[in-house]
Amino acid sequence: MSNEVRLPDIGDFKNVPVIEVLVKAGDTIAVDDTIIVLESDKATMDVPSSVAGKVAEVKVQPGDKVTQGDLILVLEGAAAGTGQAKPEVAEKAAPAQTSAGGSPLAAGTGQAGYGSPATAGGTGASAAPAPKGAAPVSGEEMRAEVLVLGAGPGGYTAAFRAADLGKKVILVERWPSLGGVCLNVGCIPSKALLHAAKVIDESQAMASHGISFAAPQIDIDQLRSWKEGVVKRLTGGLGGLAKQRKVTVVTGTARFVSPHQIEVEHEGKKTIIGFDNAVIAAGSEPIKMPFIPHDDPRVIDSTGALELDGVPKRLLVIGGGIIGLEMATVYHALGSKVTIVELMDQIIPGADKDIVTPLFKRISKQYEAIHLKAKVTAVEALPEGLKVTFEGGSAPATDTFDKILVSVGRRPNGKLINAEAAGVAVDERGFIPVDKQMRTTAPHIFAIGDVVGQPMLAHKAVHEGKVAAEAAAGKNSFFDAKVIPSVAYTDPEVAWVGLSETEAKAKGIKVGKGVFPWAASGRSLSLGRDEGITKVLFDEESNRIVGCGIVGPSAGDLIAEAALAIEMGADAEDIGLTIHPHPTLSETVGMAAEAFEGTITDLYMPKKKAH
Amino acid sequence: MSIEVKIPDIGDFKDIPIIEILVKEGDTIGAEDPIVSLESDKATMEVPSPSAGVIEKILVKVGDKVSEGSPVLLLKGEAEAKAPAAAPSAGAAPSADTAALMPKQEPDPAAPSAPPVPAAPASSAPDFSNVHASPAVRRLARELGVDLTTIKGTGEKGRITKEDVKGTLVRSAAPAASAGAVAPAGGMGIPEIPAVDFSKFGPTEVKPLARIKKISGPHLHRAWLNVPLVTHSDESDITDTDAYRKELDTAGKDKGYRVTLLSFLIKAAVSALRQHPEFNSSLNPEKDALILKKYYNIGVAVDTPDGLVVPVVKDADRKGIVEISQELGSLSKKARDGKLGSGDMQGATFTISSLGGIGGTGFTPLVNAPEVAILGVVRSKMAPVWNGSEFKPRLMLPLSVSYDHRVIDGALAARFTRHLAHVLEDVRRLVV
Repeated sequence: MSNEVRLPDIGDFKNVPVIEVLVKAGDTIAVDDTIIVLESDKATMDVPSSVAGKVAEVKVQPGDKVTQGDLILVLEGAAAGTGQAKPEVAEKAAPAQTSAGGSPLAAGTGQAGYGSPATAGGTGASAAPAPKGAAPVSGEEMRAEVLVLGAGPGGYTAAFRAADLGKKVILVERWPSLGGVCLNVGCIPSKALLHAAKVIDESQAMASHGISFAAPQIDIDQLRSWKEGVVKRLTGGLGGLAKQRKVTVVTGTARFVSPHQIEVEHEGKKTIIGFDNAVIAAGSEPIKMPFIPHDDPRVIDSTGALELDGVPKRLLVIGGGIIGLEMATVYHALGSKVTIVELMDQIIPGADKDIVTPLFKRISKQYEAIHLKAKVTAVEALPEGLKVTFEGGSAPATDTFDKILVSVGRRPNGKLINAEAAGVAVDERGFIPVDKQMRTTAPHIFAIGDVVGQPMLAHKAVHEGKVAAEAAAGKNSFFDAKVIPSVAYTDPEVAWVGLSETEAKAKGIKVGKGVFPWAASGRSLSLGRDEGITKVLFDEESNRIVGCGIVGPSAGDLIAEAALAIEMGADAEDIGLTIHPHPTLSETVGMAAEAFEGTITDLYMPKKKAH
Repeated sequence: MSIEVKIPDIGDFKDIPIIEILVKEGDTIGAEDPIVSLESDKATMEVPSPSAGVIEKILVKVGDKVSEGSPVLLLKGEAEAKAPAAAPSAGAAPSADTAALMPKQEPDPAAPSAPPVPAAPASSAPDFSNVHASPAVRRLARELGVDLTTIKGTGEKGRITKEDVKGTLVRSAAPAASAGAVAPAGGMGIPEIPAVDFSKFGPTEVKPLARIKKISGPHLHRAWLNVPLVTHSDESDITDTDAYRKELDTAGKDKGYRVTLLSFLIKAAVSALRQHPEFNSSLNPEKDALILKKYYNIGVAVDTPDGLVVPVVKDADRKGIVEISQELGSLSKKARDGKLGSGDMQGATFTISSLGGIGGTGFTPLVNAPEVAILGVVRSKMAPVWNGSEFKPRLMLPLSVSYDHRVIDGALAARFTRHLAHVLEDVRRLVV
């Protein structure tokens, strides 16, 4: 390509070190201007430019070793030296950017150094690369080296990491407070309410152990404001962290208008922000069902449930996954009669059935009904309540509820950001495909978190955010985690990581298991609970841990040990020989490994392995 | 059925490196066609194919060490090989790359100007999900661009450690180090001679080194770098000895062998080695003791069309001039025909390099380590020698003894060489 400057014939030399680079991106150079200085055995050589133009990118740095033909510079404009961009190509590539002042600079990725040929052929069809550096170009009001779209756990992590790596970062968030779903209407407020639920449940449970409390007086407004206080404290803290790092936070709804520009709309005002690299952390939202009157205030999603707008007498939870069951736990504790309807043959379909069973048994007694293999086919909003038509399972034909929580899953927000304008592929479900570096089909744009796929979990997004930020800063960072743990903060908690038994069976992977029932754990019994199970799965050949499922109080905290063990490649012996403190629930992980080994003494088990 | 071709009986050798693979997968070969070259201490051996056929798979690579019975390749019998190859698997799902090369179809004609977007990002990064390496090691590997799926861990239970990852960089920076027989290029901190494109200055032609040179090169380089070498020169009056040699040679000619000065040199060397056992020794690997050899095997450097080889006359102390001459005759013939077995070239305790047939007035022979000394001789010449009262024409033979100065001092070398010259002057001293 004529806009590349390569090392000319420098005589009989190879791998000559560059000792000085005399130009930088943005410089205008003429033919024969010295661009770099090389140092051979005895002489230094000035290397002149073969073409004139504006430097888009310098591909070498002092210390690099170069040989004839190596790429030194990339210039802007295919017609090097003429200075004429090709506006018709630019317009073609970025049709949506009228508000960008028709700047031809917007087209082209300028990332000649990496990416698939398809990408180069697609977005690079116009040969004018985007300007580098953080100085705004015409039509742009701001410019970032790294722009992060979405301030959830993944987004703010990516923004902060990129800033810590010296990048000028702009963080765009559509809601007024940072933290995304997790902090505002997800993980954190739900945990606050679950704590309240736990205190209510446990105080009642103590009656059978000789301590009786009066029925709780629940001031729902005060409970809500406490929950909001927790959220504010965290999101406010995030704002502080952003300020300390000089990350610019822009509020508004964003959409891509070109491969290097985004348009942010806030209260009718539109702003164009240019970027070198972008990280899409646009998250997900609850799925809505066509046959459900979502406009009715009595139909809520997780966000509505956390708003705590009263406690319904009878609550129907559609979807027996983590979110539905957690909200059911809260509303049950607050006094609702809960019915759950789940399409599959078990609640929490991702986890093994034996791990879910203790939870199922407990809530089957507590709740009004749990209908498995059943679905809702219609919901009619009547003045006296929501009339629901069921199909399948043990569900009645119809029933009427005061509120319905729809928690059938979350849908990625990939289709809401006009990603196509940036050359970013979005699949038909709204997910954005990425590689191990979190790069999308536009190599300078990354995507992380819920928008790139399951599992839609904050801790996955956080790690992906770091990878994306590091990769954007030029580091060789990859998402190489072997496992991502999942936790349902129900009572008992259900947690699992790595391979499940169901999955192993489906994939034909041979695993051995060690199971420790908490009925043999002194600590569990002294908590007044005996239904927990710790199950650890091991590779039959190497004895290395490949998966773990735990049900019981604090299972979510216990699962971290299994995750670490999997990442470290620990085997059953390693886990069993690690001294776990007594009496703790963490002992159950060590005991399960011993059960697999056949060295356990706290249970009597038929011999599995000779030791 | 494919046949697994194994290394045949190759004598008393184990773990011999493969230096060349002479065939490639898909080649059609005949029975006895060479398939790989092995390199023992001093000889190379070509392993022939036991039967004809098409090579299905090669199971070894250059540098692998093999012993008798090691599998080398899979050979498909000729008849079977002629059967049509399996049809290329049809209907295979397009690879990620192919998919990425096909721009996504734009279904909406209202927006024809959106840039075409591939369906998925193209990624060639190796998958580390099954490697036995901790997260920190995986991260280090990514930073350094090391593919963990190709590394064997040295940690506990095969775990890949940070050191393993860093080790691959050291190895790849010095790929020569593992091949064993290669020259110690730069490995001792010696700067490489920079490559020069000679064709810039005139026409050139690249001719590969003969096999023997390729093998002996590193060996000689090793000797040169390891042995602090000194050469001591002397000369011997062989007028009478040569007259005697001619008598024996005339007698031998009829019986089908020749007697050259080399036979006398061998006998004289044995005599000198007996007198000075340090010359018939090697340094132990710790370099704190001498291994004195109680046998006298004399290597003889022979110039062949393919290069220098050194056959060995074994137990020279127990052989007479005639027997040695006959043995030299047969060894030289084998050497020139390229038929020397590795046994013919092993076990020397001292070496003689004779250039007398060609000419010269002196040279510095290179000690054939781990031997500690070598005798170099050039052409003898008639010279006027002062016998105390007059100049007499005498046939003088220049002798050059190079020695390992770690083992032998100059005075000892002078005595050894003098003894050699003294014995050669009057062969009756050989029997004393």
